[in-house]
Amino acid sequence: MQTGSPVLYRPEAGARPRIDRAEMLRYLGYAGQTIEPDLARRIELVAEQTERDIAPRGVWQVFDLDADGADDRGLPCIRLAGTAARLTGRDIFRHLRAARRCAVLACTLGMESERRLRTLSGQSPLESALFDAACSAYVEAAVDRMDAEVGRAAAEAGLARNRRFSCGYGDCPIEAQDGIVAALNAGRLLGLTVTPTHLLLPTKSVTALIGLFEGEPADAGERPGCGGCRLRGSCAFRARGTVCYG
Amino acid sequence: MDFTLDSATPLTAALASGEPYAPRSLGSLRIADADLRAVLEGRRSLLFDGGMGTMLQAAGLAAGELPELLNLTDPEGISAVHAAYVAAGSEAVTTNTFGANARKLGGKAEVEEVFRAAVGCARRAGARYVAADIGPIGALLRPMGTLSFAEAYGLFAQQARAAARAGADLLIIETMTDLAEIKAAVLACRENTDLPIVATMTFEEDGRTFLGTSPEVAAVTLDALGVEALGINCSLGPAELRGLAKRMLAVTAKPVIVQANAGLPHVEDGRTVYGIDPRAYAAAVAEMVSDGVSIVGGCCGTTPEYIRLLAQVLAGSAPTPRTVRPAFTAASAQRLVSLPAGSRAIAVVGERINPTGKKRLQRALRDGDLDYVVGQGISQQEQGADILDVNVGLPGIDEADVIARVCEQLQASTLLPLQIDSTDPRAIEAAVRAYAGKPIINSVNGTRESLDAVLPIAAHYGADVVGLTLDDAGIPDTAEGRFDVARRIVEEAARFGIGPDRILIDCLVMTASTNQAQALEILRAVTACRERLGVRCALGVSNISFGLPARELMNATFLAAALGAGLDAPIMNPGSARYMDVVHSFRVLNGEDEGSGAYIERYGGWTDPYKGASPKAAPGGAPAPAVGADAGGEAGDADPIRRLILTGRKGEMEEATERLLATCDAMELINERFIPALDEVGVLFDQGRYFLPQLMASAEAARAGFDTIRRLMPAAGLSEKGAVALATVKGDIHDIGKNIVKMLLDNYGYTVFDLGRDVDPQRIVDTVRERGVRLVGLSALMTTTVRSMEETIALLHEQVPGVKVLVGGAVLTPEYAERIGADYYAKDAAESARIAEEVFG
Repeated sequence: MQTGSPVLYRPEAGARPRIDRAEMLRYLGYAGQTIEPDLARRIELVAEQTERDIAPRGVWQVFDLDADGADDRGLPCIRLAGTAARLTGRDIFRHLRAARRCAVLACTLGMESERRLRTLSGQSPLESALFDAACSAYVEAAVDRMDAEVGRAAAEAGLARNRRFSCGYGDCPIEAQDGIVAALNAGRLLGLTVTPTHLLLPTKSVTALIGLFEGEPADAGERPGCGGCRLRGSCAFRARGTVCYG
Repeated sequence: MDFTLDSATPLTAALASGEPYAPRSLGSLRIADADLRAVLEGRRSLLFDGGMGTMLQAAGLAAGELPELLNLTDPEGISAVHAAYVAAGSEAVTTNTFGANARKLGGKAEVEEVFRAAVGCARRAGARYVAADIGPIGALLRPMGTLSFAEAYGLFAQQARAAARAGADLLIIETMTDLAEIKAAVLACRENTDLPIVATMTFEEDGRTFLGTSPEVAAVTLDALGVEALGINCSLGPAELRGLAKRMLAVTAKPVIVQANAGLPHVEDGRTVYGIDPRAYAAAVAEMVSDGVSIVGGCCGTTPEYIRLLAQVLAGSAPTPRTVRPAFTAASAQRLVSLPAGSRAIAVVGERINPTGKKRLQRALRDGDLDYVVGQGISQQEQGADILDVNVGLPGIDEADVIARVCEQLQASTLLPLQIDSTDPRAIEAAVRAYAGKPIINSVNGTRESLDAVLPIAAHYGADVVGLTLDDAGIPDTAEGRFDVARRIVEEAARFGIGPDRILIDCLVMTASTNQAQALEILRAVTACRERLGVRCALGVSNISFGLPARELMNATFLAAALGAGLDAPIMNPGSARYMDVVHSFRVLNGEDEGSGAYIERYGGWTDPYKGASPKAAPGGAPAPAVGADAGGEAGDADPIRRLILTGRKGEMEEATERLLATCDAMELINERFIPALDEVGVLFDQGRYFLPQLMASAEAARAGFDTIRRLMPAAGLSEKGAVALATVKGDIHDIGKNIVKMLLDNYGYTVFDLGRDVDPQRIVDTVRERGVRLVGLSALMTTTVRSMEETIALLHEQVPGVKVLVGGAVLTPEYAERIGADYYAKDAAESARIAEEVFG
């Protein structure tokens, strides 16, 4: 697990991840309703076209951590060594404090996904909603692949890993996106940009951090629960008695 | 000429005040010395330096920190890096200002002082030429992103002026991926300095930039924009870039620059090293130099050692001479249309975006319903158009504003180059200035007034131009008369540096029913213009048949004759299968459809409409089989509308609606069938028995029914229930939820003004005032953008007190909505329709 070497994720057309149809439907609010065959065909067509036309690409890199710092308000703050990225908040601190290193990843469905979202939203709102959900499931699937790559590399290096964490989870502010994108050079390597309000563009993009530990990892649980989610008060999934993450 | 930063039409304003326009040429520039001039003329090679970032990171600079600040804090260190490149043989040294724009500097330093210090560092290192570096802003431009063209221009203009004042010898705009952004940068440099401009873009393995621009598109666009040298930087290693560089060399006569990476970085023994060693790198660059690349340097990973070997590659040799086959080219950011000299290739110009005689399009333009306008572009693209003509001229609208917005949206959703069709120079300039690519201006004519107003715009913005063969005396009757006007236009254009390869002459089709003798004269004029002036020709084909029956037949025949006479760019409706049959078959005859592959694929199983009576159902007979079978299964269906809406079957709605309209009043149909069915769907959705796509499919089906009613009973006066404005708030870019609400409210008969995403609060206020809006729906998806929602609500309540505000979005709750001042909270789209009922009663 060398620090400093970016690892690119650029699957060939034949090796792209598959969209989990169940997850795509979940994003659309599906809870067991009977879907008319016509609609089912449209949903499947959008999923297939997304897999065929959109190429996920990503980059990950391992950084040393500096967990001794504090932010402007004196709260704990973690830095990715050798970068200007700073991660603040109790949740990310707990997640990475004891880690030896941190794998940072960014993944995007690229400008083609953004262009298609724009086009569809004006011309066919239903296809646009389907495509949006397909892309969300697709970028998750791609990040899962990258996540597994990181896991394998960590295991080879004799390190344990915890689950991936993204800014916006818990109390980690999305302001950190700018620093993460810059640290990974993801603008140059993936065409990823950040809006003045710290949203990733193309919108179907994800950044995440994985702690790498010499001993027992913190936050090793497979999935984040609802406890750390800021939407828990108004969540439509929870209202229906389900969760967004399956 | 004085260019103001935020004007969309600075050139027209300057011309109107009487300022003469001088087209850009080397003679109008400040060029450091004769050797640099020789470089820009393509007679001498030039060696740039290598990667500054690489050197700084090796010296311990943190990724994501601003290396530009080092010009101020460690000028000796920066100067030492430059000096190492100078010692290795670099003649042109690139300043450490890649990210020195006001946005990236974020107030940590002034743009002016950074450039002053940076140019100083390069000078002190002994640079022969100091190239001021201008990199991407780091934010995406509209329509994909949120930064406006004018804002981008403003940031670049600040850098360009700072560079010139600091004494740079040239400007290098580099590592761009967005054609709109590089255009903003080039214009900012052109309009604010008199320094030579070098511009490069960066490409991925698939041969395109992240935003889909190919090397050819980049080259023809930048060439026309007037940069002195253009090319490729960063991207990949030099061996991979050779093919891309060759593609540029084939379409531009300007000097081509390549600055490749030394491969990808990896870490060895704690040091970052790059995949390609200096020797291999230099060998690959030598190949490109032999292809004709005349300016070289390095990018990521290239240290002085690489540059030293490149100096040996260039040593003493003059650039390899090359020939470029002239061609008429037009380009969008994603698509190049090329009509090479000596070929008979043709390009179909889709004419449908033109409100003349089209009521639906007129309404859409007046209401700002850009989705409909863009839909016209998308359908023409699907029908086989190669270029889209864009005309939004209507009395009572601000044409410059509307055409700019239409072009922006068309660029987001279609791939084809645009032809800007207007008689108003302001509208033309507003559209072409921010256009990402090489557009066509339609049109200039032989009158003094038109030539003086339009040609400077075409010259300045690197646009092609359609020249109409008419002048103060009107349209000449004869081929010779038309040819004479065309020749004058070509001569005038030449004075502005616009060659015949950027001109389409339109010999103006007259109606055969009134000017029969002219039909063949027009064709003779086309042939003469092509052969004797070296231009390409366009024609608005359908004018020929006015006043005659079977117009499509006449038009198709004339189209075939005109193509035979040399017509290159028919301006026509690609939605007519008849015209496209002519186009597809001609493409076999002119050799474009090599081996007739496309023709055979299209027409292999074709049924010739002239052959025998088709076994079509008798007019007014039984419904099509699929529907018939289905309907049979539910014989005696009391309410087909309800069933079709509930099952979301839009395909069958048109016919069902049409059938019912025969016996039923339109209003009754809507109020007693459509609306109750939609309400029922809303309830099913509420109960969780329908999920979102089902709700939307039902809305689509209802929409198909409403459209049918509108089409058949335009005078039925479908109830206008009231006006609603929708927007995703400033700073937020998520709009799926808002779009669903729009779809439903539309169906319930509201007039919906969709302002899009990232919407400025003032624009919402203005829309409320101008359109008499009573309900505003706001969407925000992020906790961070709810603040912006709160500000928007406050402004609305202050400026337009009567208006009600409805909010929605994942992070909102009823309590939260109340706290930020909203009048209503909708948990989903169905709820928003009920709230609208309440507001409008």
